[in-house]
Amino acid sequence: MKRHCSCGVSSMAVHGESGGRDAGANLFLPRKAVILRVEQPTTMERHFTLRLADETPLDFEPGQILEVGLMGYGEIPLGLASSPTRRNTFDIVVRSVGRVSQAINRLQPGDSLLIRGPLGKGFDLAMFRGHSVLVVAGGIGLCPTRSLIQYILDRREEFQRFTLFYGARDPQQQLFLKDLAEWRGSKTVEYFETVDKGDPGWRGNVGVITILFPKVKIDPGTKVVVCGPPIMFKFVIRELAKLGIPHEDIFVDLERRMKCGVGKCGHCQINDKYVCTDGPVFSFAEIKTLEEAL
Amino acid sequence: MSDYFINEKDFGDFLKRLVRARNVLGPKAKRGHFVFGRIENPEDLRLDYDVTILPPKKAFFPTCQDLVRFDGDQVSGCIDPVDQVLFGVHFYDVKAIDMTDLLFAERGEDRNYTANRQAATIVASSIQSVSPRAFWGSVGKEVEPKGHDAFLTKVARGYVYQSRTPKGSALLELGKFRKAEATELEAARKADEAVKKKCPETLKYGAAEVAKKVRAAFPDEKLWERLSERCFSCGSCNLVCPTCYCFDVQDHWNVDQRSGARTRYWDACLTSEFSKVSLGAGNSENFRESRGERFRHRILRKASYLNEKLGGPACVGCGRCAAACTADIADPVKTIREVMEAAS
Repeated sequence: MKRHCSCGVSSMAVHGESGGRDAGANLFLPRKAVILRVEQPTTMERHFTLRLADETPLDFEPGQILEVGLMGYGEIPLGLASSPTRRNTFDIVVRSVGRVSQAINRLQPGDSLLIRGPLGKGFDLAMFRGHSVLVVAGGIGLCPTRSLIQYILDRREEFQRFTLFYGARDPQQQLFLKDLAEWRGSKTVEYFETVDKGDPGWRGNVGVITILFPKVKIDPGTKVVVCGPPIMFKFVIRELAKLGIPHEDIFVDLERRMKCGVGKCGHCQINDKYVCTDGPVFSFAEIKTLEEAL
Repeated sequence: MSDYFINEKDFGDFLKRLVRARNVLGPKAKRGHFVFGRIENPEDLRLDYDVTILPPKKAFFPTCQDLVRFDGDQVSGCIDPVDQVLFGVHFYDVKAIDMTDLLFAERGEDRNYTANRQAATIVASSIQSVSPRAFWGSVGKEVEPKGHDAFLTKVARGYVYQSRTPKGSALLELGKFRKAEATELEAARKADEAVKKKCPETLKYGAAEVAKKVRAAFPDEKLWERLSERCFSCGSCNLVCPTCYCFDVQDHWNVDQRSGARTRYWDACLTSEFSKVSLGAGNSENFRESRGERFRHRILRKASYLNEKLGGPACVGCGRCAAACTADIADPVKTIREVMEAAS
């Protein structure tokens, strides 16, 4: 008697020996990646810089996702947090929330983990080139958008004005501290930041991310990227409407429970779309009729 | 391919040889119900079944299935299909299998399913008894059953065996089949026509009209709350559905604490945790938090979302969900009728 699995539940009786017919790729087979660097910007998040174990570059677009995991623990979907222009390595940021993320966050440089991907549709760069770009990132929404931010900074001449809004809950929750320090003094990106709640050492803006809109003029024709906690989207899109940004020029990067990452398991569905294969990046025009999207 | 006839007496011998030669899965009785299971003794095969508890998709998409196995640092796939003959599949389940075939193959083929599917031979059979909740006579009439290798119809004094593929014809050598006569084929056609009129339940509306109105009813929160008021969020309607294919993936270790597997299990979008995301620090976001939202998602998925892809609704009218629902609120005929009436 052969079983499809080893969980002890007897499945459909299939018999006989076979084998040698494992033709075609198994969508669920991961690749090994080695951890080169680990930083811990906050108490909850760890920032990993990785390289594929076979040392080939990971071929991806900004905004695409990976399923990252450890055998015996599971996989979690994560947006790539670095740009493909930095070819030899790629970054992810893992927040400790459950069994898998906690296990990953115990790893050290030299350890390896398993990835599947890149998966899904990232930012359509052809839509952005030659235009001004505004990125609105809230909380860990800065991680997937960093893939686009770095891309724009690396190929700055391909874009016009580049503005970045970043909101964190409090100063202790800020991520990519080195990047932030660089952006604050940078002439290549107009960087604005705020925290929901300040602390005695904080001299910057205090308030939700929408308080940053009056601080800068956004040109018509600007392409806008929004990524953050679910509650943030509605308020940001309202601000963008006031500025007259057309829906086709607004791109949202959505988070859902992407279990398989290949458009099968059903967990990440919003109406009839799968976030893992149709997204995670959608134009607002594409999803505004989907009641479950925002 | 061609049409054959086998008489009642020779059919028994054919089955004997078939179960000896091949792995046969077919309908058999189990505690007052029917299930698809391994047929080792031809007497166990119950072609007079009305409906099985679980649909035959479990032959290709088992309730739990290892996707990847590991041993220390070694990780390997475990796609390992076996020949099997699904014997006696009703046309509504044939339609459902054809749908899951498409859904597992599109946008990145899932070989964990398709390899099992390709290794199987499906012999469909005519419906001899009708289950009390069936409505296959009226739903998705625009979708033809296809993907099966042969179709068996009970007629006077024997069976008509219509082979559609080489896999279907390969079984002919196991029995005393002869070419069917025109009168036998006509009798088979009439029998299949006649049974379609015997469904106890009828969906009165066409698929396009239903798809449009059910989709348009999305914002009517009160309607969905009312329809799902008695829902236990148990997911039984999903688990017995032949076109549901959502799954969860869990890792587990073997007792050696060295090896183990990444396994998928059938999952159900009616359960409360299905769309829940952990945000850390004890916070979470549930994208379909209320029963109404989950109930609506199921109905839209069956009646609207997949229609374009499948050429019709993702419901074949087997009535399993209606029968499995403890609160008896899952019946698509009743639900769609209520939505259509609320919309008009």
